[in-house]
Amino acid sequence: MSSDLSLQKVSRHFGETRAVDDVSLDIRSGQFVGVIGRSGAGKSTMLRLINRLVDPTEGAILYEGRDITALKGKALREWRRDCAMIFQQFNLVERLDVLTNVLIGRLAEHGFVSSMAMRFSDEERAMAIQALDRLDLVPQALQRAGTLSGGQQQRVAIAKALVQQPKIMLADEPIASLDPANATLVMDGLKTINREDGITVLVNLHTLDTARAYCDRIIAMRQGRVFFDGTAAQLTDDVVRDIYGLEGLREFNEAVTSTSVHSSVLA
Amino acid sequence: MSLSHTDINAAKARVPLAFQAPLTVRMRRAALWIGFIGLFCYCLWAFDFSPMRIWEGMGRLGNVLSFMFPPHVWDNWADFSEVLNGLGETLAIAFMGTLLGAIFAFPVSLLGAKNINRFTFLRQSARRGYDVIRAFETLILALIFIRAFGLGPLPGILAIAVSEIGTFAKLFSEAIENTSNKPVEGVKASGGSRLQQIRFGIAPQVNPVILSILLYNFESNVRSGTILGIVGAGGIGFLLSDRISAYKWEEAWSIIFLIIAMVYAIDYLSGLIRQRIIGKWDGAK
Ligand SMILES: Nc1ncnc2c1ncn2[C@@H]1O[C@H](COP(=O)(O)OP(=O)(O)O)[C@@H](O)[C@H]1O
Ligand SMILES: [Mg+2]
Repeated sequence: MSSDLSLQKVSRHFGETRAVDDVSLDIRSGQFVGVIGRSGAGKSTMLRLINRLVDPTEGAILYEGRDITALKGKALREWRRDCAMIFQQFNLVERLDVLTNVLIGRLAEHGFVSSMAMRFSDEERAMAIQALDRLDLVPQALQRAGTLSGGQQQRVAIAKALVQQPKIMLADEPIASLDPANATLVMDGLKTINREDGITVLVNLHTLDTARAYCDRIIAMRQGRVFFDGTAAQLTDDVVRDIYGLEGLREFNEAVTSTSVHSSVLA
Repeated sequence: MSLSHTDINAAKARVPLAFQAPLTVRMRRAALWIGFIGLFCYCLWAFDFSPMRIWEGMGRLGNVLSFMFPPHVWDNWADFSEVLNGLGETLAIAFMGTLLGAIFAFPVSLLGAKNINRFTFLRQSARRGYDVIRAFETLILALIFIRAFGLGPLPGILAIAVSEIGTFAKLFSEAIENTSNKPVEGVKASGGSRLQQIRFGIAPQVNPVILSILLYNFESNVRSGTILGIVGAGGIGFLLSDRISAYKWEEAWSIIFLIIAMVYAIDYLSGLIRQRIIGKWDGAK
């Protein structure tokens, strides 16, 4: 199949603001796609549209030919499980331990009684431990999530996404609040999952270097529209200047020098 | 200070209001003070606060207080166990009342929390409902329930439970509104249902707050439980009022001391528990 996730003329308006404006995209399974653009360009809104945390004003989103914008109830929750979401602010339940936070990824499989009692099977717990192991977090499994560093919390979020056994992973500026060392760990984690499990990764990034280092394909957004769609090599300085504008480019280069990350798995 | 009169007068001329408030403000202040003092004097007169009366009362108060020493010690088990039973009953009334109140208040509090109930009209009605319940003083509820259910602990429990529904629902719903939405979104994005979002995203944030509120109110209900007994709703207050009306002041004082000791012990214990709860591990068992 050539395009597993397909956005067809998708728009989302907030009052007068066209956060996402007539976007059409086809994303094949297993791709590692980076989305770049100035703040306010509509990157977060696009990911949230795919996960259905917001609904489109117009257009349709298809996955393997099925219209996911029409899903409701149980089917919607299963779709959200299938496209795991990772947030800039981690969005963990800080008062719960790491293990339980990871097990939240299993909730779509649970009924009323078992989830109200916070009951999980031994199989699910083992799954969670395995996921934590892949991110080197087993020693922290029983610690409260709030006591972890930002980088560790983001890796817990990735472990949680893993136990959802998703087909797509959506990451909204996952490294924007991390220092470079932790940012590298998180990006490497995403890359490994992408290669070993064949999970499609769609990640919003605020630094160009990181996008260049990790992504098979880079999509640039500007004022809600897709402005560039191609490989890192095709993303020339001229294109970058157009995306960010002269002003933006200067800001952007500063951002790059402070928090960019270079791939160590790609090498 | 070395400012000359001319300097002072110049400053006065520039900002007169810095030196004296305008006439209207001064008159308003004077009127307020006159009203306040007048009301105070009227009350002294209306309630007959004559020095004579205070003096005579002091004498009798000393008389009552003198029964404190030596304290009465119960010399047989039957009498003492009656008092212990009373204390236990007051504790039980406070415990049951607090617990029942909380059980009913919790679902009602969800209706009043903005981040759970998005229907403004329904939410506002729920909140007005809490206020109506809270307007009933526990003692008044106890008098009503005694009429309906007869003397004894049952009306006491119901009185505490009902008045706590209003208080708890208000406090719980405020605690729920003060939670962060990020964990909730995290659960939602993983495919969690609305109830699962509340259970995993909101409950871990509010549980320690709710437990702490429960303990505080349990303490205060132990105190009000004593008073409820005086109007006939069971517990130690019942025995106390009985001893006072029978002029058994030595025994009454000993009961009062026991009540103070019990309330103090409960305060101390619940303080310990609260500290433990705030730092507690909180995961899937
Ligand atoms: N929930 C919302 N309500 C109103 N406006 C919003 C909302 N979410 C996003 N927007 C607006 O949509 C535009 C795109 O936002 P966003 O998708 O967050 O951009 P980015 O992630 O690229 O910085 C911005 O102008 C933002 O103010
Ligand atoms: Mg954003």
